[in-house]
Amino acid sequence: MKSNITGWKEVYSFTLSQVLKSKAYLISYFLLVLIVLVSMPVTSKLLFNNAEDENAPSPVNTIYINNMTSLTDIDFEDIKNIDSFSHIEFKTMNSDYDSLVERISDKEKSSAILDIREENGAYNLHLSMVKEGPINRSQLQRLGDAILSEFTSTRMELLGVSGEQLVLLQTPIVSKVTMTDISQDAIVDENTAISFSEYWFVYGILFFVLMANMLTGTQVATSIVTEKSTRVVEYLLITVKPLALMIGKVFAMMTAALIQMLSMVLALFVSNKISATYSPDSNSLLSQLLPSDLFGNINITNMFLCIILVFLGLLFYAVLAGLAGATVSRLEELNEGLTLFTLSSLVGVYIGLGAASALMGSGVNAFVVFAFLFPFSSPFVLPGAILVGKASLLLTGIAIVLQLVFIVLLFIFVSRVYETLILHNGNTIKIKQLFQISKNSKSVPGTSPR
Amino acid sequence: MSLSVKNITKKYGDKLVVDNLSFEMSEPGVYALLGTNGAGKTTSLRIILGMLAKNSGEVLWEGKSIDVVNTNVGYLAEERGLYPKYSLMDQLMYFAKLKKVDKHTAMDRIKYWSDRLDVDEYIFPPKGKGRRASKSNQADQLSKGNQQKIQLMVALLSDPDLLIIDEPFSGLDPLNTDLFKSIIREEINKNKYLIMSSHQMPTIEEFCSDITILDRGKVKLQGNLSEIKKSYGRVNLIVKCEQDIASYISSFNLRIINKTPSEYHLRVQGEDEAMGFLAKLINDNITVIKFELREPSLHEIFVEKVGVDKDEE
Repeated sequence: MKSNITGWKEVYSFTLSQVLKSKAYLISYFLLVLIVLVSMPVTSKLLFNNAEDENAPSPVNTIYINNMTSLTDIDFEDIKNIDSFSHIEFKTMNSDYDSLVERISDKEKSSAILDIREENGAYNLHLSMVKEGPINRSQLQRLGDAILSEFTSTRMELLGVSGEQLVLLQTPIVSKVTMTDISQDAIVDENTAISFSEYWFVYGILFFVLMANMLTGTQVATSIVTEKSTRVVEYLLITVKPLALMIGKVFAMMTAALIQMLSMVLALFVSNKISATYSPDSNSLLSQLLPSDLFGNINITNMFLCIILVFLGLLFYAVLAGLAGATVSRLEELNEGLTLFTLSSLVGVYIGLGAASALMGSGVNAFVVFAFLFPFSSPFVLPGAILVGKASLLLTGIAIVLQLVFIVLLFIFVSRVYETLILHNGNTIKIKQLFQISKNSKSVPGTSPR
Repeated sequence: MSLSVKNITKKYGDKLVVDNLSFEMSEPGVYALLGTNGAGKTTSLRIILGMLAKNSGEVLWEGKSIDVVNTNVGYLAEERGLYPKYSLMDQLMYFAKLKKVDKHTAMDRIKYWSDRLDVDEYIFPPKGKGRRASKSNQADQLSKGNQQKIQLMVALLSDPDLLIIDEPFSGLDPLNTDLFKSIIREEINKNKYLIMSSHQMPTIEEFCSDITILDRGKVKLQGNLSEIKKSYGRVNLIVKCEQDIASYISSFNLRIINKTPSEYHLRVQGEDEAMGFLAKLINDNITVIKFELREPSLHEIFVEKVGVDKDEE
């Protein structure tokens, strides 16, 4: 085995240095990092530049109330206790609705009409304004919210409900059904479902791993086909064994992809920090969009486990891509050759996505556990699940062991077929032929080096 | 040092590509593998290099099974293999590193060979600015002949004990062919072991002492080239006369191999028949300008053994 991989370090360092020097890599690297770097400050600026000061006086000066309900004593004077609405004058509508609308449209563009009706056992509050007036939709919405709140309070007061009673009435009710065993100890069913934010967090990590995986896989396959089509491989094979060539390449491409991805993560953090300068309350964009308890499970152990899982996943798929690359002879046939790699990745991604959705809907179930353990899907979904605290250490350990077993099996298979494939020139090798080669690599129909 | 190829066989499915090939190089020199296209020469070379698995047989270098990791082998393949977009210097240093040549020695050898092969302007391009300057040291900017020179440099960088060269002169102009020949002669003088595969028979005759002719994977003829020729005897007669000698040729029942406006290339049974023919011409006052009796050329032996049709394929 030692002599089979002798020289992989030289292959690794040469491949990595050439990839890092290549224009395509450098351009895509700087472009992606730049996009990530400016994305959050720009988003923050767009979000918060248009945000209005909630304490600024509302542009509404007068509200005409058309109360058509039985609650005749209702008034909205308490709204004036809010600074931004203190100047608003509430008037009962005396004229007919149409002539009032006409008057507001012509002369009183800073006025609004509040129409209150009682229909089908429900109260209907309709606040309307002139379309071309100084009041925009968000300002009117804020006013509407205040009016609704005031209406609810006043209605309760009119019904004899005190403020304290109202608070009690509005207290949320959390229900929990438990079973007890014979000793009367409660058997608590732990809620393992994830929130909507956590789902997007898991999805984000899945997408991130998918990107790194596709980047590494296609680069490994392209590099191998290039060496085959340019015949460089013949010169390499007099010094290094095919397995050493592939290992060197796989690790080099993984390193290049990881440098790119980690730089993007770093740029994301920097970008998030910069975004705070555009926020009125100096909070970063992520801290405003994501719940604060989302990052509770991000610690060194979990990060370490995630890195191992992602690394093993990339390794698994990169070896698969290397195998796929060796089955074709020309670059234009690469897409056909990559079918096995693409299909496996898609299966892994879709199982991962399904598991993330199931995790949000019903928590950890048999399918989710399968997705966590299945080596095709575990690199995509398990890192996210670990970071939101939904994967136990035991489950993670088993997933890592299974991943290692799959990688070893794949390596054994690859080492049996790669030597024949690497010199093959001709039609794309089919999966059936691959298994034939693994049985007897010395004589398989249709696989000749020339 | 010695190279021993013993009974190597290679099959692709039911197709026998190399059938029981054996030969030995107990002394330094050049061994030739000849054959038509698809005869199994390149496959045999790849098996000797340990690049390709064989179905049976063994290849021994210094009595041990040949191992690409531990044997210092140089290889010049028939088809050129360079990374088209990487710098030539990077590629040469990479190949040197793979062959465990230290950086300093590698640089010295690169300088020596680039000067010798007159490609230093591509490996050490003059510093300049712009796209054109940055691309001038890439393989895809070189002519086929210059790529061939770089490839020969790669093969020689590790100062190999065993040098395997497959069609070394294809795509070279006469000047560069002579340059390559002089380098091969140097390697022979340095007591290196060379295996050469070529379709150019005069070149094989120029360098090789021992040969194997392959046809569809099978050995058709094998041995020392001088002895093989000797075994055929001096049966090739080239005659040039002032008068037409067609009637004399038919009266002696000689086979015409080739006829040019001035010369006849004939096949005789032996020296006695040739001398009898010459005596008759002189007796009849025919002016003989050229009378050459020689052994068959390698080309003629090859054609006889493998067949004209296959050679033309």
